Amino acid sequence: MTTLAATPSVEAMLESSLLDIGIPPRPEILDRIRIEMQKDEPDFNHLSHIISSDVSLSASLIKTANSPYFGNRSRVRSVREALMVLGLDVASRAIAGIILRKIFTGSPHLERFWDASARIARLSGWLAQRVAQNRLRPDDAYTFGLFRDCGIPILLARFPGYDGVLAKANREANLGFTAIEDSHLPTNHAMVGCLLAQNWWLPEEICLAIRHHHDVSVIESLSINPPLSSRYQIAVGQFAEYLLQQHSGLSQTQEWPKLGSACLRLLEISEAEVENIQAEAVAVIEAED
Amino acid sequence: MTDPTTGFLERIGSLELLTQLASQASCDQPLALLWINIDRFKQVNESLGHLGGDIVIVQIAMRLREKTAGRAEWCRMGGDEFVCFVPDSDLDHSRQLAFDLLRAIEAPLPFGDLLLRPSASIGIAILETNEDPFSCLERADRAMITAKRDGGGRVVVSGDESVPGRLGVFLAREELEIENMLHIALESGGLNLHYQPIVGFDGRIEAVEALMRCTAGGSNISPAKFIPVAEKTGLIIRLGEWSLLAGARLAHSLDAGGHPTKVAINVSRAQLASPKFSQALHAALLCANVKPELIELELTESLFMDVSETVQKNLHAAIDAGVRLAIDDFGTGYSCLANLKDIPSTKLKLDRAFVVVLPHDRRAFSVVKAMTLLGKELGMTVVAEGVEEQEQLDSLREAGVDAIQGYFHARPMPEEALLQWLQNRRAT
Repeated sequence: MTTLAATPSVEAMLESSLLDIGIPPRPEILDRIRIEMQKDEPDFNHLSHIISSDVSLSASLIKTANSPYFGNRSRVRSVREALMVLGLDVASRAIAGIILRKIFTGSPHLERFWDASARIARLSGWLAQRVAQNRLRPDDAYTFGLFRDCGIPILLARFPGYDGVLAKANREANLGFTAIEDSHLPTNHAMVGCLLAQNWWLPEEICLAIRHHHDVSVIESLSINPPLSSRYQIAVGQFAEYLLQQHSGLSQTQEWPKLGSACLRLLEISEAEVENIQAEAVAVIEAED
Repeated sequence: MTDPTTGFLERIGSLELLTQLASQASCDQPLALLWINIDRFKQVNESLGHLGGDIVIVQIAMRLREKTAGRAEWCRMGGDEFVCFVPDSDLDHSRQLAFDLLRAIEAPLPFGDLLLRPSASIGIAILETNEDPFSCLERADRAMITAKRDGGGRVVVSGDESVPGRLGVFLAREELEIENMLHIALESGGLNLHYQPIVGFDGRIEAVEALMRCTAGGSNISPAKFIPVAEKTGLIIRLGEWSLLAGARLAHSLDAGGHPTKVAINVSRAQLASPKFSQALHAALLCANVKPELIELELTESLFMDVSETVQKNLHAAIDAGVRLAIDDFGTGYSCLANLKDIPSTKLKLDRAFVVVLPHDRRAFSVVKAMTLLGKELGMTVVAEGVEEQEQLDSLREAGVDAIQGYFHARPMPEEALLQWLQNRRAT
């Protein structure tokens, strides 16, 4: 059996300032889960031990397992129960999200950025149940919401003028968001986010959704690639962001005018329904704030 | 109710016969259905007229009947479609029969002054226990359609048809399994890089080449199997980007440890033809925080069969990013000296085919020597791949090659083993 001491805690991992050295390396715990998943009979006890050695990770995992987006009706009380109820696959995504939050909230100026992502993720989880039932799993919508823009802080750390590029891309009414980034930088946040998600073993559909989340042409594309589930994630994420902006009265982006109608068509939502959903969403948004 | 042209049963009669034969079939005496469609028959009708078409059909029907000689029942389902019911015929037997029929059909067929070369697509289905005979007939039809879609002139057994994979590309059953395994590997940590050192004659580590390995569901899939499927489905782009980042991370950690070593990473044609190649390359370099000059992109020569504008643009973007280019597997396949002139590469890797015949094949030696000279003249480092024996090494040294890669020095190994290998080497 592996010694528990050999597992670096998330906090220990954060001691090196991760964002300055490229993308955060894949947390070792994700590799451990993968190793167990590849076995015929995964050892839940062993994994529970490893996760439990990190108190804050355990607490967050139990909290996540009990959140409505992970579709759990019975109340989970231990790490082992969380693993059993979620399954290793979903638990791994949940843990990836928890660790990403820890990385980002470790830096004060990223806290607000993270809050915005987390809000979009939660509302996306709710929307998946409300408007995309049987087409999109709420936990996928939630995980996508968390990781969708994770390339932004990485680029902010690397390119001093990136905040200016972001502001310009946010104001752009015609060209795609990433097209503006591409005209100023050698890469863009969707590509960086996709590579990080892939490196952290997130599902292919989520990686592709991250890669294309500003690309209006893929939302209603007739091609099979990216898959439909990726496109639902993109559409639900954009819709969630729009609802949040409507609620706060602050609209800092041009994404909804550019992508909104395609998203609504994909989700088969009429303009009239938008108003109903908006009204219902208020309670969800306020309950979480 | 027989067809007057061929003397075979007509459709309606054949369906009655099928029901009857199916009721007599059993596990010990299976009933096989073969659905045969003559390829390009429409063209025969168009060029020879319907009368001519009928003459061809009569000839083919005679051949078919001769081959089965009373062991099977024949029906004509339509213009150029035949079905053969073969009682007491298992899969092996019916497959053999189908190949015999195909050969019989493909024999040249004289028509006036012309010599026609007909061919056919054949689908096979074996009636399963309790299966509705008509659904079995449909399976045979579907298998035939697959045979036709795959180019005709072939036999396909029901169940082996190619079906659309997750990415919408038509794949045969084995390929489909591999595609699924690749998806599992991409999402479940089943991808891995192994590294093989490239060692200079002066003892320096010239670079390490990253080679992708894939495990899914507890079993390893050989690159010879998964690479072609990945190329067919476009998954190669995702795999390529994955290995770019993983390889770049290793280069970064070796450098951070005070031992900068180039990592050579294979780039596929699909990646290089993608309009997003440059963004993906930069994202990987940035994510790994690696010095670009430590990354070498290995491009197979076949990439340059047709160098599109996008490929050209991407190659230059790679150079601008500061990474190095190497031409892999040089000397076989699509060798074109113009490539050497046009592609700004800094390394030439000679194909292993030249190495395995050394030192005895003197002509091969001369070719190696000439290619080496050419490479060096163009300012490239010349590497020979697949070196296993001391004699080969001596011969390559004599030819002027700069560095070698192969089992002689080390097999491809996982990262931990590579780190140990490098450490041991430094210690000696």
